[in-house]
Amino acid sequence: MSAPATTADAGHHEPSKFHFYIQIAMILSVITGVEVVLVYLPIAKWFVVTALCTLSAVKFMFVIFFFMHLRWDKVFCTILFFIGLVLAGGTMWALLHIFGADASKPLSAAMLETAHLAIA
Amino acid sequence: MNSHAATIDHHHDATTATGIPNKKLLWWAFLASDCMFFGALISTHLVYRLNPPPGNAVPTQIFNIELTSFSTFILLMSSLLMALAVNAIQRGNVRSTRTMLLGTMFFGCLFLGGQVFEFTHFVYVKKMTLSNSIFGSTFFTLTGTHGTHVAIGVLLLGMMYVRTFKPAQGGGLLLNFVHLLAVCVTFGVAFIWFVPGMIEVVYGASFSELLREHAIPFAAGIVGLIALIALGRTRGAVEFGEKNAIDVEAIGLYWHFVDIVWIIIFTAVYLLEYL
Repeated sequence: MSAPATTADAGHHEPSKFHFYIQIAMILSVITGVEVVLVYLPIAKWFVVTALCTLSAVKFMFVIFFFMHLRWDKVFCTILFFIGLVLAGGTMWALLHIFGADASKPLSAAMLETAHLAIA
Repeated sequence: MNSHAATIDHHHDATTATGIPNKKLLWWAFLASDCMFFGALISTHLVYRLNPPPGNAVPTQIFNIELTSFSTFILLMSSLLMALAVNAIQRGNVRSTRTMLLGTMFFGCLFLGGQVFEFTHFVYVKKMTLSNSIFGSTFFTLTGTHGTHVAIGVLLLGMMYVRTFKPAQGGGLLLNFVHLLAVCVTFGVAFIWFVPGMIEVVYGASFSELLREHAIPFAAGIVGLIALIALGRTRGAVEFGEKNAIDVEAIGLYWHFVDIVWIIIFTAVYLLEYL
């Protein structure tokens, strides 16, 4: 099939998602703005951390399901990607816990902590 | 468009066992593996941030959160343009696809230029290098790897953009090669010299000084831009069309992936430091 460079929409193609994508992009921009403002608000740290993680996850899901078309593709694509995502998340969780244990802290960090306690 | 185009289903492929186009399946498998790669880099950075050695850099004194927030916005908008490029080619609109691909590359270059400025500023002004602190090592490795992914993405988009001009009657290889060279020179000069230089100008540097300092690369960039405009003029019927939507979508998957990785990096590496 050869098409001229100026091939126009003849009305027999995939329905346009132009406005839908614009709306998604606006939502993502607003969420990013909220994230930046959140870190400067004088509210509880645990709340800000939870809110930032939730908002990032929401942005992540919006991009993969709508911009990357997972919403309309076969579910196997979602499963395949989430296998990698779960393995990556599990690795991060494991590493943070392993190195969070007292016995695994770098000696220099332990010395710094002791010094801080002594000063206090 | 002929009647064949009307039957293209962009989400399912009856010729494969999975019903998914093989190119798409390959990209999803690659992106899943890349998730693990970035997971390891992000967790390494976080491990050392939670257990900082003495004399480590103080991130809030180094970061420029306004610039990084702007870069994040730019990358999100580039994702929008990429989605619109896929939408356009799925409707057989080659001209609109080209415009959206160029826009995506332009926004990608803005992001990369911001990163070049940031890295230069950190090294020469804040004195944080890859080797003089653990924070520098993990930060530059993580964000540098992401930046490399973005740069590869811009190159892939450039190749796709040039491919849309391939003549229907065959041939034109040399012209396409020159076109790709023009794309590389223009966007390379843009993100290595022009965008970081313009950010310097926004922060008070002299524009004429910038032009004098980088006269040769800027001249090469202008020549590249003129060639890009000249070669971008319509040259008759092209081979590229709605049947190539899967190729644009595959590059799009990669581009959106670098966006979602940045969403995580922006929160984990930058925003959480300000609490």
